[in-house]
Amino acid sequence: MAAPDSPSAALQRRDLCSRGIRLAGKMRSDVVDLLEAYVERQGLDASASVAAVEGVPVAAAERWDEQTGTQRLLENLAAYRAFRALLAQMLEEQREQLGEADAALGRALAAVLLQVSAFAYHLEELLRLESRGPPSEEAAGPPPASHLSLFERKLRGLGVLRELAQWAVRSTRDLRQLAKPSPGSSSAPSPAESP
Amino acid sequence: FTALCILNESCLDFGNIYASQIIWKVKNRVVPKEQYREINRTVSSVTFNDTSSLATPLTCNILADGQIEQNIYGITVTIGLPPEKPTNLSCIVHQLSKLTYPMTCTWNPGRHTFLDTHFRLKYRWPQENFPDCIPKDVNNSCTITDVQFFVNLEVWVEAENALGEAESDPLVLDPIEIVKPLSPHNLSVDSGILPTVLKLSWENRISAPVMNLKFNIRYKIFGDTNWMQVPPEDIDSPRTSFSVQGLKPYTKYVFSVRCMKEDGAGYWSDWSEEKTGVTTEDKPSKGPAIWRTIEASHSPASWTVHLMWKALEPFEANGIISHYEVTVRAKSALSSPADKYNVNATNLTLKMPNGTYEVTVIAHNRAGASPPSVLLIPASNSKAPVKNVRTVPKDGKLWVRWTAPNNYVLKYVIEWCLVSNSADCIIEWQNEPGNIQGTYLKGDIKPFKCYLITVYPLYADGQGSGQSVKAYLQQDRPSKGPTVQTKKVGKAEAVLTWNHLTVDEQNGFIRSYTIFYKTIDGNETAVTVDPSKTEYTLSPLTSDTLYTVRMMAYTDEGGKSGPDFTFTTQKFGKGEIEAIVVPVCLAFLLIVLLGVLFCFNKRDLIKKHIWPIVPDPSKSNIAQWSPQVPAKHNFSSKDQMYPEGSFTDVSVVEIEADDKKSFSEQDLKPFDLLKKEKSTSEGHSSGIGGSSCMSSPRQSVSDSDEGETTQNTSSTVQYSTVVLNGYRDQTPVQVFSRSESTQPLLDSEERSEDHTGGGDSTTQRQQYFKRNRSQDETNADRPCFERTKQITCANEGDLAGFAQLQIADQSSQLLGLGLEENTHEAALSDVLLTSTEGQNMRAETVERNAPSVDEMPKSYLPQTVRQGGYMPQ
Repeated sequence: MAAPDSPSAALQRRDLCSRGIRLAGKMRSDVVDLLEAYVERQGLDASASVAAVEGVPVAAAERWDEQTGTQRLLENLAAYRAFRALLAQMLEEQREQLGEADAALGRALAAVLLQVSAFAYHLEELLRLESRGPPSEEAAGPPPASHLSLFERKLRGLGVLRELAQWAVRSTRDLRQLAKPSPGSSSAPSPAESP
Repeated sequence: FTALCILNESCLDFGNIYASQIIWKVKNRVVPKEQYREINRTVSSVTFNDTSSLATPLTCNILADGQIEQNIYGITVTIGLPPEKPTNLSCIVHQLSKLTYPMTCTWNPGRHTFLDTHFRLKYRWPQENFPDCIPKDVNNSCTITDVQFFVNLEVWVEAENALGEAESDPLVLDPIEIVKPLSPHNLSVDSGILPTVLKLSWENRISAPVMNLKFNIRYKIFGDTNWMQVPPEDIDSPRTSFSVQGLKPYTKYVFSVRCMKEDGAGYWSDWSEEKTGVTTEDKPSKGPAIWRTIEASHSPASWTVHLMWKALEPFEANGIISHYEVTVRAKSALSSPADKYNVNATNLTLKMPNGTYEVTVIAHNRAGASPPSVLLIPASNSKAPVKNVRTVPKDGKLWVRWTAPNNYVLKYVIEWCLVSNSADCIIEWQNEPGNIQGTYLKGDIKPFKCYLITVYPLYADGQGSGQSVKAYLQQDRPSKGPTVQTKKVGKAEAVLTWNHLTVDEQNGFIRSYTIFYKTIDGNETAVTVDPSKTEYTLSPLTSDTLYTVRMMAYTDEGGKSGPDFTFTTQKFGKGEIEAIVVPVCLAFLLIVLLGVLFCFNKRDLIKKHIWPIVPDPSKSNIAQWSPQVPAKHNFSSKDQMYPEGSFTDVSVVEIEADDKKSFSEQDLKPFDLLKKEKSTSEGHSSGIGGSSCMSSPRQSVSDSDEGETTQNTSSTVQYSTVVLNGYRDQTPVQVFSRSESTQPLLDSEERSEDHTGGGDSTTQRQQYFKRNRSQDETNADRPCFERTKQITCANEGDLAGFAQLQIADQSSQLLGLGLEENTHEAALSDVLLTSTEGQNMRAETVERNAPSVDEMPKSYLPQTVRQGGYMPQ
């Protein structure tokens, strides 16, 4: 693992941040497109308000600008790991529900899932550059949705995508913040400070 | 490759079969023993150092007792190679739609393995594997349907077959770096406010979050082939529109756009579809080039001036030219107002007085007017002309060069036209600036055509006269040769003429003519002739010889022969025939003349030999020795003389006796002289002694008193009986004279013409008896006198007015010529008359026994007769 302040590590971090930002931007763009397709295909109202869904991380953060880089990375990583599980579940449900009939929606969902995975990988790499390995992935996946009705599943999927779009925006801002040259500050937060 | 064949131990026991008996075969072909090796009693091996000689199946056979081959075992051999390591792996992401980015990777699969080799493209993220990409139908590329950007992807290729597997070097890349995006679409071109600006707009098909784009914009004038590009640094940032500046007014442009990742990673997209746009109009940038031709008018004091100007090129017109404003101002009279014309065409014909004029042309379009073009038309081209105008073909064009005059030249006008027989010289022209001394002709200059090029220098205050030159862009051989003809052919020379080839036939400058001429079997001779000539004299030629001549006309590129022409030289030269004929004729004439003179001088001698003097019987002295002439017998009875009814076919002509002299000797010629030869007397005349042309025997008998004597005395000759009629009203004196001579004719006297006989004078009246036509014809057709023949010239018994002549001179060649009837009759009458008189005279002479010759009457016309009794011929 590279030293945090070595030139190559800084270069690699900048590259990771840059590509992460681009990835987050593309992910948001794709999620927005996917949202439209999802609402249309699932017969939902685009303006329907969805209450907080269990297991879906919330992008909004208090005192966001006071967060350290590591905190941001850890929060992002946790969120995207959760999104990855949720999207995988949605993809499976999608296949069960619509079969191969709506391949386009499934492909878009799979693409977003890949991007979420890729973004999670970016975050893990950045955490490694921060001299702290990524936390081990919790074995427990997303809460089982088997108890939910089909409609509730659709609403939860809508909530997942909307929140993912929000997280894509937040992640872009987090990575930009990380990309800013702030000597010595990035490693200040301690693990105890992370949520 | 080595194979082993191991025999079961039991074979040794039961069949006495050992490894030494093993025979190896490849595809039923025995493998040479050198490749065998007996390892022990039960094992034999075969080795193939060259696997190319190995084939399937490879069998192990045993040679059993009785030389029987028995197959023991066989294997199928497959020859192949293990896969090589795939190399040159590269990938590209083609954008197919806004969200579809398949990635195609290609590699070099290496050598052919001869085996079924499987390639698979493997890729993975560091934390995630993806299913392999299996190529379909190919072994060097595979397409991953969807890739995610911004994460490094590790890509490699695995190759595997029965003999092994190989793996390429991994390729680690972020697919976003290898994208070939879709080209911008929905390109549109809008005219801007300025006539030099067009605004382009388009849509990008790759979202900004995925990729920031930079662009290329290319454009060209519609119809051109070369593209221009907007400077790349102007469009290296994401955008969807751009204003292209620096364009030409009122010009149609074609645009196209492409894009790629902003940082230059990846690939340029294809060019977008082309869109056209037209810039707005602007004022014409310059005035039209103007020139004139001046046509002398009938009146010497005025001109017909054809003004012509060239339509502006589109890049000069900057729009649609609506009209031209032409101003003509006479320079001599400054106070006179200028004439203005608005013309839509590009020419204007004006008839105006001689003088100096200034012509101004301004082109107008919707955006405004052009700067004026000015042409000074001087009263005369009195300024210095250019010198040494010459042309050079260069780069497929005709380059005209000239030497500038010493004065400052404003500009030059080069005028040219195609010289042709079939069309008029249509003038084309172009303007050139005054600082040059050569230019290309800006027109469709065709090769092999003659152009007349004229250069005029234009000065600020006048114009120089034009200097012309003829030129060809490219020369060729003439299209035909001259047709040669002869103008004049002599004995040793021939003058050939021909016409010059027409301009259309020349195809170049005629440098020379060559005349080829030859005889049929001779060598061809060539003569080069100056091209200005149209006539040539070939010499020396052989006389009376057939020559073939043809003519070639040469340009710089070669010659062309005209048709053959043949001619034959004359046998004699001019004047040769005359030189021969004239002397011959003169000599002939001289000889004739000399002959005539000779004959004239020697006429007496000639006459003596050719025309001897016939002795005159009147001078004969026979009478002197002959016995007494018997008594005359006069027949007084007219009736006896002319028995009635004896004239059956007689017409009577009365002729004045006085007129007898009017008959010339010529008139007497046709008279048939009769002769009778006594030895051949026969028929009616034989008994009468004297010949009686018209006396009948009966009459003769009756007239003869001494008929018996006559008949019995052969020596008695009755010479003649002459009966004359009276002349007109006079009583005819009938005379019958009869020769009573018994003197036989002497042979020596046969030549003399002896007119003897007697006849009574009857009357003064003479009657002519016109005999019928048959008798005339008889007289005319043959002579009445022949030497030994007696011819009766009148019907028997018709004896009125008759002269009976007997001519004894057998040597005389007398010809009786028949004339026309009247003449004949007239002559006959005269002869009869004269003859009668002569006979009378002679009768009298006989009776009186003789007067002299000189005493013969003058009326006896033919002198010859008077001299010798010779009848006129």
